[in-house]
Amino acid sequence: MSEPVLDAAMIDNLRQLTPPGEPDVLAEVLELFLQDVPRRIEKLRAAWAAGDAAELHKTAHSLKGSAGNIGAQTLFGVCRQLDDKGRAGDLTDAKPLVDALVTEYARVEVAIGLILRG
Amino acid sequence: MSRMVISTQSLQVLVADDEPVSRTVVGAMLKKAGYIVHFANDGDQAWSQLDGENPPAIALLDWEMPGLAGPEVVSRIRGRKVPTPTYVILLTSRDSSADIVAGLKAGADDYVTKPADQDELIARVNVGARVVQLQSALAERVRSLEEALANVKALQTLLPMCAYCKAIRNDQNYWQKVETYFHDHSGVSFSHSYCPNCYERFVKPQLDALDDASQAAQKQKRK
Repeated sequence: MSEPVLDAAMIDNLRQLTPPGEPDVLAEVLELFLQDVPRRIEKLRAAWAAGDAAELHKTAHSLKGSAGNIGAQTLFGVCRQLDDKGRAGDLTDAKPLVDALVTEYARVEVAIGLILRG
Repeated sequence: MSRMVISTQSLQVLVADDEPVSRTVVGAMLKKAGYIVHFANDGDQAWSQLDGENPPAIALLDWEMPGLAGPEVVSRIRGRKVPTPTYVILLTSRDSSADIVAGLKAGADDYVTKPADQDELIARVNVGARVVQLQSALAERVRSLEEALANVKALQTLLPMCAYCKAIRNDQNYWQKVETYFHDHSGVSFSHSYCPNCYERFVKPQLDALDDASQAAQKQKRK
């Protein structure tokens, strides 16, 4: 019933970007994601805790970009909602979204792990 | 004129984005299409590459970057007076049409929404490559026309000529043979011949002398 954690077509496109004889682009991008995203989720949580809407907008915006590039559609949607809230400067209902972001990232991490071990 | 055409394969493209996943994916798409890709993590790095020696011809700039943001980088690029300006494509979110308008007003040539669709991204960068090639061909043409104009001007000015040997003094204060001077400044070549007056004055006496000498030699033999 729920949409896949990672969009198969996007993953396939990334896989095909690897030039012959070069390191795997898909693996490089996914590893970069795992390295970089947790740090920025921490920043976003800190921004939420501090009630800093501008910083929350900035981090949610860049997380949205990362999620979109690997086809993590649900994560992308959550980031977009947080991005909008931050931009509007209204963090009143942001808590469930911050929680959803953490939960969805855990699912993405598992899915990436499966591909990398593939 | 074919030497002016830069092949797409050798064009350099800068990808400036603080978000590493997007930067890597866009870079991989461009590499696959045959471009030489450079990266910048923020606006300051982007500007130092674009303002340096042999800068990338095309720049893909993220709208929201730390340091100099996209619009600031664009306005600096447009402030440079160069014959072949950088072709600028902004990378923006799908949902920010106000940013797109502001970016184009600031001097960007085009925009691509993130996450970038591979086919669309490459098609737009290829348009940029075409514009860059046309501009560089045009700049080369203007340069060669200016050079030709400078030579025409040199010929129109008063030329100092030696009253005796007819040598011409060039801009470097060096006396050149008239043939050499005109060849250098106009591409005119001279074929050497003689006019009827000079035939009578110089050539005929020489031929006559030669004739006399050969007759004298024959008389000598017969003796």
